[in-house]
Amino acid sequence: MTELQRDKTFESSGVSGTLKVVLHDVSGTLLRTLGTIERRGYDYRDVHCTQRVDGDFDLLVRIEDIGGPRNLDILCKQLERLYNVVSAEKVGRRKRAERA
Amino acid sequence: MTTATQFAKQQTEIFENRAPKSGAQLLLEAIEAQGVDLIFGYPGGAIMPVYDVLPRTSLTHILCRHEQGCGMAAIGYARATGKVGTALATSGPGATNLVTAIADAYLDSVPVVFITGQVPSDLMGTDAFQEVDIVGITMPIVKHSYIARDPADIPGMVAEAYFIAGEGRPGPVLIDLPKDVANAVTTERHRWRPYPKVKPEMGTSENISRAETLIRAAERPLFYIGGGIAQGDGVAELRELVERTEIPVVSTLKGLGSLPSDHPHYLGMLGMHGLKAANYAVQECDLLIVAGARFDDRATGKLDTFAPGAKVIHMDIDVAEIDKLRRADVFLDGSLKKNLSALDPFKDEPYEKAQIEPWRELCYSRRSMYEWDYDAPGNGVYAPKLLHDLSRRAPDSAIFTCDVGQHQMWVAQHCYFDDPKDHITSGGLGTMGFGLPAGLGAKLGAPDRTVITVSGDGSIMMNIQELQTLHRYGIPLKIVLLDNSALGMVRQWQEVFFEQNYSEVNLDDNPEFSKVAEAFRVESFVVRERSEVDAGIDRLLAADGPILMHVKIDTMENVWPLVPPGRSNADMMER
Ligand SMILES: Cc1ncc(C[n+]2csc(CCOP(=O)(O)OP(=O)(O)O)c2C)c(N)n1
Ligand SMILES: [Mg+2]
Repeated sequence: MTELQRDKTFESSGVSGTLKVVLHDVSGTLLRTLGTIERRGYDYRDVHCTQRVDGDFDLLVRIEDIGGPRNLDILCKQLERLYNVVSAEKVGRRKRAERA
Repeated sequence: MTTATQFAKQQTEIFENRAPKSGAQLLLEAIEAQGVDLIFGYPGGAIMPVYDVLPRTSLTHILCRHEQGCGMAAIGYARATGKVGTALATSGPGATNLVTAIADAYLDSVPVVFITGQVPSDLMGTDAFQEVDIVGITMPIVKHSYIARDPADIPGMVAEAYFIAGEGRPGPVLIDLPKDVANAVTTERHRWRPYPKVKPEMGTSENISRAETLIRAAERPLFYIGGGIAQGDGVAELRELVERTEIPVVSTLKGLGSLPSDHPHYLGMLGMHGLKAANYAVQECDLLIVAGARFDDRATGKLDTFAPGAKVIHMDIDVAEIDKLRRADVFLDGSLKKNLSALDPFKDEPYEKAQIEPWRELCYSRRSMYEWDYDAPGNGVYAPKLLHDLSRRAPDSAIFTCDVGQHQMWVAQHCYFDDPKDHITSGGLGTMGFGLPAGLGAKLGAPDRTVITVSGDGSIMMNIQELQTLHRYGIPLKIVLLDNSALGMVRQWQEVFFEQNYSEVNLDDNPEFSKVAEAFRVESFVVRERSEVDAGIDRLLAADGPILMHVKIDTMENVWPLVPPGRSNADMMER
């Protein structure tokens, strides 16, 4: 983590939380989403996916970072950049240290 | 490029046309409907139904000699024209040969639609002959991708693919077309659910006025501009704002040309091989106005030492770039063009230029102090001087494409650009082999303009087969091959950072490039001495057909200044 990043925007390693992601039903929709989460520096711990009546999917995914400065808001924006993603938001967030 | 309204209209029209057609026909007609007239491709088994229909369309097909060449030619075409490029290949090896071009388009945000044949649907997943999961392979490097499962989907899918490639922050889109779907005939047309995302048009008025307040308060403001200026069609608005505020400007590799190289407020390229005046200005500014740039590590050096005392205004159409690497005090998302023209910090108050005058003087005096010195000892060809002279003698509208290495940095440092579309370089991926195919694609897209490819002896070998494409179509590309008998950039790093432990960088066994060119029936000549350079440039610029000028240069020449990786931009090494 760099000096300039050490402000409210970034948190040191130990970011975890749950994301709620709404997905369109297009081919590879889960892979695209989970792949982006992994490539952007997070492991997923728990994945729940259910189809809604309108055909879209609700994906709940609990993630933990793999180290380095991470910011879940940026991850949400990176997910929302995908064309299969309708929206992505944090629904819960804790620091690993606080859980101990 | 298609607007959201045009896109919606296209979807309705598609639904109304119900003549029986095959998937291949629907594909090519949908491409034509996008206004495409030129595509780059290479045939093979799985894509044969498409090639069967191709001669009956209005499309001009350019057969490159390698799918990577097709992909990079499509990128060069897209970057020179501002249109969406198109590249076509077969399944398996044809598709994997496109991968480097797809990654290049992704990292440099270039709008290209890539179409690959696929094995028939019933064989997919059986490890069939020439089956690869190209959608899976390219998932991290596309803006979006599709597998066409039903010919009735194709018209809507193609329209959406071109729309997505070009909208917002542009990028590559892939369509994978199984052979049976290409062959199947249908009268159906599926209405394609349009997914275009609603994005803000520009920054909020509150953020615009916060940005204006920061600009008014700054004593040492600086613009840091990138490739987004050209992609966001913001060149005129940037120039206007810079002239109005008289704030100095530094540019990334991809932003070059957004201001003319000799613009009075322009300090030069920043970063690893940036100009000293530019890097020092970044270090000392108190306000950084970032427009269409993304704090790439080649531009920033060690991030926490980059512009350490500066507040940041960040404008980018891609909100995921904002706060990614450096927190922005104010962000303006949406169209760069609109944000740049909305910013008017001195509309209500007289411009107190005196406040930034000492800063401007400091920046401009440094710029003169660190001017390039084109005197080099000896009789050998000095590449920076050659490039400087070549770009001043070429028409103003000339386009330069280049490969990757020392020669690429010399082009960025020493050529004159007055439009960002004049400089086509592989910035994000740094792809050796890019220059020649990108140059031929650019020349086909801009036939009235002089197009010059500057390549290296290492890079040119990576797509040398495209000399044949120049010959086949009589494409009058001008190639300057700067031959230092080495993988020069790697050699320089081994010299500087690895105690001259030279490992696998010596290319003194290169082929005789002029004979290679001759074998491809491309005119060629050699320049060995400084005294031959002027006549060489004359001959190069006067040629009617494709031509290759093979220039022998000193192996040990280096690119300066150089910021060591992981160090601050203030720590520039020099000759
Ligand atoms: C496809 C690819 N492979 C390897 C590299 C790593 N690389 C960067 S510059 C360079 C040397 C390029 O040599 P040359 O084209 O002769 O240019 P020079 O530096 O000598 O001007 C290499 C190997 C790369 N950028 N791209
Ligand atoms: Mg070389």
